[in-house]
Amino acid sequence: MSNKQLILVVDDDPDLVESVGMKLESKGYRVAKAYDGVEAWDKIKAERPALIILDVMMPRKNGYVLCDEIKKNKDYKDIVVVLLTAVADAVKNTSYTHMDGKNTLADDFIPKPIDLDKLMEIVADNL
Amino acid sequence: MAQLLPPITAPDANDAAFKKTSVLIVDDESRIRHVCTKMLNQEGYDVAQAPNAEAGLAMVAQSHYDIILLDLLMPGMSGLEALGKIRSEHPDTVVIVITGYATLDHAVDAMKQGAFDFLSKPFSPQDLRLVVTKAIEYIRTLQDISNEKSRMRTMINHLSGGVMATDIHKKVALANHAFMNLVDYRGPSPIGEPVQQLVAQPQILSLIDQALAIAPDQFGELTDEIIIKPQGQGEERIIGVRCVPFRDRLDRNLGTITVLHDITTIKRMDQIKSDFVAMVAHEIRGPLNSVMMQQKVVLDELAGPLTEKQREILGRASEKINALVNLSSELLDLTKMESGLANMEKQRLALGPILSDQALFHSAKAQAKGLTLELAPVAQLPPVLANRMNMEEVLSNLITNAINYTPEGGRVSISADTQGDYVRIRVADTGFGIAADELDHIFTRFYRVKNEKTRYVIGTGLGLPIVKSIMEAHNGRVEVQSEEGKGSTFSVFLPAAK
Repeated sequence: MSNKQLILVVDDDPDLVESVGMKLESKGYRVAKAYDGVEAWDKIKAERPALIILDVMMPRKNGYVLCDEIKKNKDYKDIVVVLLTAVADAVKNTSYTHMDGKNTLADDFIPKPIDLDKLMEIVADNL
Repeated sequence: MAQLLPPITAPDANDAAFKKTSVLIVDDESRIRHVCTKMLNQEGYDVAQAPNAEAGLAMVAQSHYDIILLDLLMPGMSGLEALGKIRSEHPDTVVIVITGYATLDHAVDAMKQGAFDFLSKPFSPQDLRLVVTKAIEYIRTLQDISNEKSRMRTMINHLSGGVMATDIHKKVALANHAFMNLVDYRGPSPIGEPVQQLVAQPQILSLIDQALAIAPDQFGELTDEIIIKPQGQGEERIIGVRCVPFRDRLDRNLGTITVLHDITTIKRMDQIKSDFVAMVAHEIRGPLNSVMMQQKVVLDELAGPLTEKQREILGRASEKINALVNLSSELLDLTKMESGLANMEKQRLALGPILSDQALFHSAKAQAKGLTLELAPVAQLPPVLANRMNMEEVLSNLITNAINYTPEGGRVSISADTQGDYVRIRVADTGFGIAADELDHIFTRFYRVKNEKTRYVIGTGLGLPIVKSIMEAHNGRVEVQSEEGKGSTFSVFLPAAK
């Protein structure tokens, strides 16, 4: 299996992005990085990743909004979105109700604090 | 009314009052007047005399008598007629009629017209003493009731909380100013009116309906939290509402009592506190999470090979960070839980199933630590009036503590029984135990017992304070017995639901 797929990691904490990136690279993925929602959107257009690991709470544009834009854009809706969320009681897969009553179209989620091994499983399962 | 409070006057004061008890004797026979006067004077009463009904009525019009001894058969106006006038004009005066021998019919007529008792001639001083003493006890009871009412009224009117009572037909029997103010009522006195006249808030009306519907053999306290926005200007207020039915001695519903408390400030403070703790916990979690992953990446040798020593040190550091991350999650949960305690919903609850659920839930953790967790067979427990989530929290905290503070090979036993009017649940362990000088502090927020044995136990120091505040919110209590090196037993007591 070709593991050279591109994964975009988006979080406003560079340390977190670095660690997740290193782990992904060790599994053979290519990694792109962005530190807020606007920057992420630029990277999506420029590099077209296969999967995005997307934090929810970010400056400039939050993860819910970005996820919505990706999933409603016919050119990008096939990109797999995995949300990083602090909401522990989120329901697995596609759409769940956030505490604010928001629905997301994300494909999967992983609660923070992140278990890196678990994240790798989720990434593999969704590609 | 139940005798909740001791009589208002001290016995001495009562005696003094009764020395002044005034008695009027109305009889045409001077011998009887004389004998009665002499005897009653000896007993310490104020005694006056009248030789006929007309004179007696004139005296009654002039001053108040507690007791009137009234002969039924007198020349001129009859005693019966005089009795009617006295009863209608001086209902507080107790009338004892004196009847001739074998004129019981008259006595019966007199009783029907409101005489308190009768004496038939000839009577002995003992007969007189007996009947007067009985009348005085009756007067004393009336006075007690009236004092009690006055005291109650004063008390209720000066409470800062709102109090309102309805009868069984939902008519307002009593409402203090605080109540009218809190429900924003500005009309005329609502006493005797249907409760809807006074209370516009549907939530309160619904609680009253529910309280009246509670079965007579069940105790119930209904609570709600409502927001009332006063008409015109004035900020909206958050009001805690409690509603209970009240009953007679045969447990029949007589009506409802509704108590209101302005909890606006408490709720706001609570919110600020929760927001603060949540913010701190969040801010701590983020960086910790990063550090945890950085350590993981290094441990996975993604940043180059590690020596055995480096791996060991990083491994320990990771455990610590992990524990801190868990702690921050726990703190967040606790703030959520605590803010719900101010006005929670209680229901009739069987504790047996909750105990088995909790025992089962924690058994994996106990097993992993090499502990025996056992639940003693629970005898028939009466239900309690409690909030289910709160009870689970209490048990979970106590069992978790027992597991955390008991070394490998130990035992944690859960049991429950009835102690008088209380249901008692005990969680006993064979753990480290708590030193006597620490026992006073373990229910204090953020206090943690720190010694060489407990150093590695991670916790917030909030578990037991939470248990305590939950128990207090349920009119219960928590107790602890502990011996260092032998173990601890925590007991929680909850009032059994009637």
